[in-house]
Amino acid sequence: MKTESLLDAASAQALAFAWLANAVRPVSEYGERVFADLRPFKPGEEAAASARAQRIAGVAATFDSARLDAVRDALRGAPDAVGAIARASMGDVLADANFLELQRFCDAIARVDSLGAGVPGIEPVANDAVRAAGRALEPGRSGKFGFYLADAFDGRLAAERAELARAQAEFDAARGRAYAKVGRQLGRDDFGEEFIVMRADLRGSVPVGVRVLREAPTYLLCALEFDSATLAALERRDAAADAAAVAEEAVRAALCAVVRRYAAQLDAAAVALGELDVLAAAAAFTRKHRCSVADVVGEPALAFEGGRFLPLEIELGAEGRAFAPIDVELHDTAVLTGPNMGGKSVCLRTCGLIAVCAAFGLPVPADRARTSLFEEIAWLGIGSDEDQLGGLLSSFAKEVVRLREVLERDAARLFVMVDEFARTTTPLEGKALVVALLERLRERAACGLVATHLAGVAREAGARHFAVRGLRGIPRRPPAGGLQAALAALAASMDYTIAEVGDDAAAGTDALALAALLGLDAGLVGAAYRHLGAEAPPPGGQE
Amino acid sequence: MRVGLAIFDLARAAGAASIFVVGIGKNVGKTVTTRAVYEAAHASGLRVGITSVGRDGEAVDAGDAQPKPRLFLRPGTTIATAREALPRSPAAEILDLSSLQTAAGPLVYARVRHGAFYELVGPPTASGMREAVAALRSRADVTIVDGAIDRVAALAGGESAIVVAGGASAAGTMQEAVDAMRALVERLTVARYDPRDDAVRIDGALTPARAAGLIGAHESRQIVVRDPTQIALAGKAASHAFARLRIRCERPLHVIAATVASIGRERTFEPRAFARAVADATGLPTFDVYAGERAA
Repeated sequence: MKTESLLDAASAQALAFAWLANAVRPVSEYGERVFADLRPFKPGEEAAASARAQRIAGVAATFDSARLDAVRDALRGAPDAVGAIARASMGDVLADANFLELQRFCDAIARVDSLGAGVPGIEPVANDAVRAAGRALEPGRSGKFGFYLADAFDGRLAAERAELARAQAEFDAARGRAYAKVGRQLGRDDFGEEFIVMRADLRGSVPVGVRVLREAPTYLLCALEFDSATLAALERRDAAADAAAVAEEAVRAALCAVVRRYAAQLDAAAVALGELDVLAAAAAFTRKHRCSVADVVGEPALAFEGGRFLPLEIELGAEGRAFAPIDVELHDTAVLTGPNMGGKSVCLRTCGLIAVCAAFGLPVPADRARTSLFEEIAWLGIGSDEDQLGGLLSSFAKEVVRLREVLERDAARLFVMVDEFARTTTPLEGKALVVALLERLRERAACGLVATHLAGVAREAGARHFAVRGLRGIPRRPPAGGLQAALAALAASMDYTIAEVGDDAAAGTDALALAALLGLDAGLVGAAYRHLGAEAPPPGGQE
Repeated sequence: MRVGLAIFDLARAAGAASIFVVGIGKNVGKTVTTRAVYEAAHASGLRVGITSVGRDGEAVDAGDAQPKPRLFLRPGTTIATAREALPRSPAAEILDLSSLQTAAGPLVYARVRHGAFYELVGPPTASGMREAVAALRSRADVTIVDGAIDRVAALAGGESAIVVAGGASAAGTMQEAVDAMRALVERLTVARYDPRDDAVRIDGALTPARAAGLIGAHESRQIVVRDPTQIALAGKAASHAFARLRIRCERPLHVIAATVASIGRERTFEPRAFARAVADATGLPTFDVYAGERAA
């Protein structure tokens, strides 16, 4: 999957693009080639993006899990025959392992076609070339998985092999007689090409047919020397082996001629197999993560109900916790506020992931969604890999450089997620920058969310204001269980619902409650409450 | 006597389904031993699988272009070797393709249909060889591996037998060759540790420095390594460590025999004296693969 101009590296990292790419990765080399060239749809390609997502969702809905798994297993087990096709098309005579690759390629196509028969959105991969190659290779099928250049390919091959077997037997017999004769004279039956004869064991002289290679005081290093009859048998064996080799090469050449004749169509089938692999991977993703097809629209918008940021949902699931799905409705750039740990960043990431999925024509992780295609999806603020900019810049400077880059790219349709931009400078100047940024983004008709803790930003920028509802009450700090238990208690008390609020709400004291929940010294937290003119909750907190 | 058959009988008596042939160096008769055991296994009527850690059966030595012993494999034998090492003729039956890589390209499993000389080029890594041996075992009654010591330990379990080969090519004198065989066998035959007894577990290799530290500390507990190849000691250091420390392992190996090749390219040893010395030093049944006899 190529992100092209859709995501820069920092945004890709913040939105877990690598995770998504891995989640929809195909299983075969055929699929990998197609997958590597996959690019996001651009504004204006809404119909194509929508059609792809519909096709994926259709396959996910029609294929039951077992059949989908069977398709992917067949693809996974298919060796890459593209190199063999290319070599044969250039006139090379392939090796037998290549014919097995080709045979399995044909078998995999037959298997996936059989599994996909009647499924809407799945076109048969097999074509005349695949059928012709399969027929040509069929005599070589050996057992369930193997290939052998069998006699059935050619009568001449069978005859030459029979002659080789006869010549080999003749030579073996002649050699056996030579070994037996020498063995009788030496009084032993175990020696190979080179062997040692102990002088003490030698009865008389060295037997005829034995050549001494090296003499030592106690032994002789010897080799067997064949007589003329055995050498003649060896010559006949070698001649028969040469003739059999010629016959085998002739069969290979004939098979390669078939591959060469149909090379273009076989290549087309390989591409189709790859596309099916990519489709099956996306369908498996859709089924596994309960994704739905977004309504892809032409005007700037991103709206969804029940949206989920899948990497976090999986992480929470591993801990036995559930992700609280969220609803968002955007048509321009709005402000998002809410308490710490209230899910502002996750909301931004959910928006980004859904927009990215839609851009690649994938069903999105939401119950319902409506989105446009964006030219660029940009993340600014916490969570991007600011270290890419080096260590000489301050956090604020890095943010500014990132913002400058995004604005300079001047994408015609931009979706932007801004997570606490300018949080590390003075609140007064930070707020001024955020308000100015909002104004600029709205001028450019960008769509997105600006998450901030700064009060009054939405009002001053004239932007819509969304807020996380936040804590339903102040959670009791668990007596045991450490950080994980505290986080679970927090999650149970947090209302992650995102709602549009009419005006800037008054700041709450959720941050102090959170500090107490996470075990910060009670005296320190109490002092903070007093500075706000508020009363601290009783020690230990309350439900 | 038939040396291959004698070794094969020892392996069968030990209940081994796999036989690994390892050597103290190059050109010490490993391939000749492998060939002898292979011939015996094939003659017994069993389905034989064979492979090599690295390269084996090539016509000439890649290092010095000297001729090497070759492997003539008979119909029905299953092999794991590099695609590029398969002879084009006579054609073999290609059983399966593997994603494992060897020094000569990807690995294939093949069955010999017509007898021919074969070059075996197996996976160089322990994990790769484990996979290849498992695949051979699924297709053969007995599997023979021309191995490298460091890879063998990761593969050889209770159902495996090891044959150690030594020869004149790997040492300057007969005594050096005998010492090398003794040290290797001593290392490979380290006993299993006693779980009821106190032990010091060594993470990784037992090096001379670690052994010296343990000796200096008068360590009397069992010194436990994962398998014998984790004992990175040789020569006098090895002898000293084995005499002073109770070295044990978690996964012991089963060494069944030694073979000797008294003729080397640069020197030769007196065959019977060499075989007898190795037998005395190792306590193993010892065979001279060139003289075709067992040490008296």
